[in-house]
Amino acid sequence: MTGPDSPHDLGETEFRDTVRSFEFWFEAVEGYLHGRPYGVTPGLKEAELSERQRDGLITTLCNYCVGETAALDASSGMIGFAPDRGAKVFLATQVVDEGRHLEVLLHRLGQLGVTDPDAEIEQRANRSLLKFKERLLEFVDARDWEASVFAQNVILECLEFTVFRHHAGTADPITAEMLRGIVSDERRHMGFGENDLGRRLLIAPHTHDRLYRIKRELDSLVLDTFAETLGELGIEREERPDLAGDYMAAVARLGFRS
Amino acid sequence: MTDPLEKPTPGPRPRETFELEETGFNEVPKRFRRFYRRWRGPGDKLGPNEALCPVCKVVIRSTKTLRAGDRVYCMPCMSRLELVEEDGMLVAKVIY
Amino acid sequence: MVDFLSNYSIQKWLESCPQGYLQDTVYGHGPDQVEPQELLANDDYREQQIRTTVQLIAGERCALAASSGLVNAAPDQASKTFLATQTLDEGRHVEIFTRRLFDLGVKPDDLESTIKTYINPHLGKFAEVLLEKIDKKDFVAGVVGQNIVLEGMAFSVFEMLHAGAEASNPKFARTLSGTIADERRHVGFGENRIGELIRRYPDKKPEVQRMQRDMTKHMLATFHEAFSHNGAGAGRTSAAQNGASGPTYQGLNMAEASNEEMEGALSATVLKEFKTRLGRIGLEYQSPA
Repeated sequence: MTGPDSPHDLGETEFRDTVRSFEFWFEAVEGYLHGRPYGVTPGLKEAELSERQRDGLITTLCNYCVGETAALDASSGMIGFAPDRGAKVFLATQVVDEGRHLEVLLHRLGQLGVTDPDAEIEQRANRSLLKFKERLLEFVDARDWEASVFAQNVILECLEFTVFRHHAGTADPITAEMLRGIVSDERRHMGFGENDLGRRLLIAPHTHDRLYRIKRELDSLVLDTFAETLGELGIEREERPDLAGDYMAAVARLGFRS
Repeated sequence: MTDPLEKPTPGPRPRETFELEETGFNEVPKRFRRFYRRWRGPGDKLGPNEALCPVCKVVIRSTKTLRAGDRVYCMPCMSRLELVEEDGMLVAKVIY
Repeated sequence: MVDFLSNYSIQKWLESCPQGYLQDTVYGHGPDQVEPQELLANDDYREQQIRTTVQLIAGERCALAASSGLVNAAPDQASKTFLATQTLDEGRHVEIFTRRLFDLGVKPDDLESTIKTYINPHLGKFAEVLLEKIDKKDFVAGVVGQNIVLEGMAFSVFEMLHAGAEASNPKFARTLSGTIADERRHVGFGENRIGELIRRYPDKKPEVQRMQRDMTKHMLATFHEAFSHNGAGAGRTSAAQNGASGPTYQGLNMAEASNEEMEGALSATVLKEFKTRLGRIGLEYQSPA
């Protein structure tokens, strides 16, 4: 990449073209994935987990797999109706990010002794999250760009960003490093969604009411999923991170009231 | 005695320049990395050349003192931000 | 199957592609490599290269739409994972060939109109046949269409262009060699994964073979039209102008061969590849004639 050294000196179009490109993705992920197979530094020691902790972690990771599969299916499907070339290329990078997340999570489940991940995921999946996935894929099948970006890149990514960041702070070292790499990817996905939708709402304010109805429908699914996940991690209610804070702040920036 | 009206009016203080060192932030291409750093939570005091991205919670850094009205970019989450003054503090707002 | 698919993991892809043969490249070529001056100074030659690059972009846009659409239709996790890497490979190809158009002097604002001006209409029809299967989430037909037919064609075309550009345009040759390396994985996955599925669902054969026949018809028409315009070979004009002996492709001297000879050589190479690959996965090549 060539151009000014300070990112703040880039023109607006130049900035957008830069950050949505494969080249940007390529040089960005090199920073935090190089030398970390499956997202983890080789030789990092496994911490001792009690049976209860291990079981709780397996359930949590199974639910992360549900979320990442939803994101993989949705982001790949969205390429077919993305509004421009830049969005298509960006989504292609998101597809591989989501595929990688799924792969590292499955790899971690294997390290925790799970031999049939599909069966475990089916057994442990959170109902609200499955319902959320179903609605998200309905938006994608209907080729509804605004609803898909909103449900996936704003709501789902915001949920994952908050949960993973918090979980990385309390998890065993291997899970924590793996999650930190995922969070680094989620920043791009979340920012893409909020910025794309923000621009769209400015030029098509009538979209607002429709998205507000979608938000109201999905809010309870997101908050239920969040509460259940933190419960599985054994985090007491008063110590739980403020998803409502992160999520509500993101939707408030887009002009939605809580 | 000098007429106080003839004294030069105190304009905004000149902007300081900052030499940006590497911060260990590794989520953007190498040549842009020194313009960002990880946020260490609510107790993290920002420098006069820094702003917190409200979208992805990364600290954005500039080579000059930042002021209200300045526009900066958060590359990790692709946001364009404008600095505004709120309650005597500089806050970054997303511009869509 | 599980062992075979583990070779197509994202971890392997990261190590071999972004951290492997693409390391130290910018938009697929060396940071200091540029289009040759003699190309940029010669309007006819530059237009020929723009026309060729437009076809590459159109093909890659089709491949991006197809591979991303297939992720959702994939019956297992490992195939989804591989197709995720293929989606990004195709997105990268769209980006690097688009960037090449800009390097050839096309202004970003004129991108879509340039593509519209130069796109080969038969290539659009070729894409339609494939994308119809993708829309129906038909995984078996989609993978045969994308990873055997489209990628098989792209593979041969890139090799021919690479042979033409190797001496005359190292920048374009480097871009193509990274693309060829990606295509190897795609055709490998297509053959290996679909071979097993075709054995499991033999009733899919007639429909898939019909699709292959239709795609082949449009592909041959694409070649015919492309060669009637400019010969498509990247280094042909350049070498001929220099009076040099020129590169060779399938035993033909690219600087001296006629358009008909080049079209014949490329078509024969692609069709031979199709027959071999289709045969290996248990399908019989259907001639469009």
